[in-house]
Amino acid sequence: MDPVLLIIVCVIIGGVLASLGVHLLPVGGAPAAMGTATGIATGTVMLMFGAAMCGLFTASTVATFSNSILLVSLSGAVGSWIMMGVTMLMANIIYVFGTGIVPASGRIDVDPITKESQKEYKTPQCDGHGVPNVSFISGMIGALLGGFGGALIYFALLNYANFEPTTAGMVAMGIFVANAIIAAYNIGGTIEGFHDPKFKRLPKALITCFVISLFCGVLVWLAANIGGLIK
Amino acid sequence: MEPIAMLFAWMLLIVFLALIACMFEDLESDTGSQSNPNSQVQLAPQVGQVHRFFNKAISGEAPAYAMYCTIAGVIAWVLLSKGVHPIMAIPIGTIVGEVVHVIFATTAHLGRTTAQKRFEQPIYLDVLYGHLLPIATHGFMATLCITAIAYIQSNLGTLSGLPELNHPFALPMLAFIWGITVGAIGSSTGDIHYGTEREFQDRPFGEGKRVVYHGKITRYAECGIRTQKDIVGFCVKYGGPCTGLTFGLIILFENWRTLVGMIAGNYLPDLQATAGNMAATIGIVLGLMIGIALTVGNVVIVRWARKRYGPFVGE
Repeated sequence: MDPVLLIIVCVIIGGVLASLGVHLLPVGGAPAAMGTATGIATGTVMLMFGAAMCGLFTASTVATFSNSILLVSLSGAVGSWIMMGVTMLMANIIYVFGTGIVPASGRIDVDPITKESQKEYKTPQCDGHGVPNVSFISGMIGALLGGFGGALIYFALLNYANFEPTTAGMVAMGIFVANAIIAAYNIGGTIEGFHDPKFKRLPKALITCFVISLFCGVLVWLAANIGGLIK
Repeated sequence: MEPIAMLFAWMLLIVFLALIACMFEDLESDTGSQSNPNSQVQLAPQVGQVHRFFNKAISGEAPAYAMYCTIAGVIAWVLLSKGVHPIMAIPIGTIVGEVVHVIFATTAHLGRTTAQKRFEQPIYLDVLYGHLLPIATHGFMATLCITAIAYIQSNLGTLSGLPELNHPFALPMLAFIWGITVGAIGSSTGDIHYGTEREFQDRPFGEGKRVVYHGKITRYAECGIRTQKDIVGFCVKYGGPCTGLTFGLIILFENWRTLVGMIAGNYLPDLQATAGNMAATIGIVLGLMIGIALTVGNVVIVRWARKRYGPFVGE
């Protein structure tokens, strides 16, 4: 395929996957820090950005000894998946052993994966608390997709646009965070995962992220072309 | 010593530094009351709860630490390029990062508290002066460890005897990456112990904090009126170490699976280009197995909590 098309296609796929990944994360924001909402006690963008950075670190290491786009992107995906897995597990350890709270969803009565009931474990006047299993699995899938998208953008910038590794990392980060912020606006606060009613807002964000990523891809191509990186 | 043993030794040192960095990052955020639980400190005067808490949520922890660590990384990188020894360059860079941190802490606390004048929240100067040094010292430890990690990773190959294994990213970029990550983790895990437990310690233990409690934070310490120093002493017993362990485990799993993949795929020690794909594949499979183990761990913990604590029995 033509390098120009490859750059744009990879950036678009990466950006859309980043947005999809953010929608799947269980983000509780400030209320989760008080055990008033389900999910991880931080902002949407910060959590996905932190996970994607972990993935980017491993992907950039793997890109030094592998030329396979799939392997580099999967390495990034697994890096994000480990970051989210450890973070959600340790958050639950603090909830269970540090505050004596049972993780429970506030949006559904029965966990669709483990079929465990949630309602009777939830504190009244709270929107759930902790990271129940369905949110954990949703978060793991989100991290995998988001990390894959971030690493894919990095690979395209490194090998098709011929950016220097540090510059490729910075630009990949920029494109990633733009898409993550659009997703965060769409979510508007907290989300529990794919079972949350807010997840239905996803198509709007995907369309917006498609347009933004297309714009970013064209910009990358222009920069690489003007800088003489594409022969 | 042979390069593989050296690579593992440096990896373990990085893991140890990561553990220390994230623990101090979380404790610093408790000292200055940054990040999510600060919403309650901000809300308290508005519901009539005048307090002596420090209040400096300049931004989320992740961008804040990305900034401090990148400043430290850039200064250290410039000094290193001028031939300064790393033993000097890394601490000097960190001190510059911490100067910026303290300036932000001061202006943020004064600005935020001044804005609450209409709710009769005073600015206690002893609270301001008394917390700046603990903020700077905790922040120094976190930033120093992250800058040291970035230095080791960007020179890992040279230090281990295989210069080709130096990380492709420049030192400031690595400092930025780990600054973002350490902030995201500190905000995600450690905040729970401060926000859910310590800020609402006079509320029933073992339940989520109801919306009606919001803003009504616990203002009295074991002796006297509570300040952030009492909170750090509490969180250092559980929330801080758990947060450090989170980052330490992430760095351990990430580096371990990559290194083991490189060895099992015969990429190391001869750096055969043809073995690169096999090394990456093994690393990915190992990572997937770790992730599945983490998921099983979560299922076990949730089941245990449901069985041990039972359904909600309060009002």
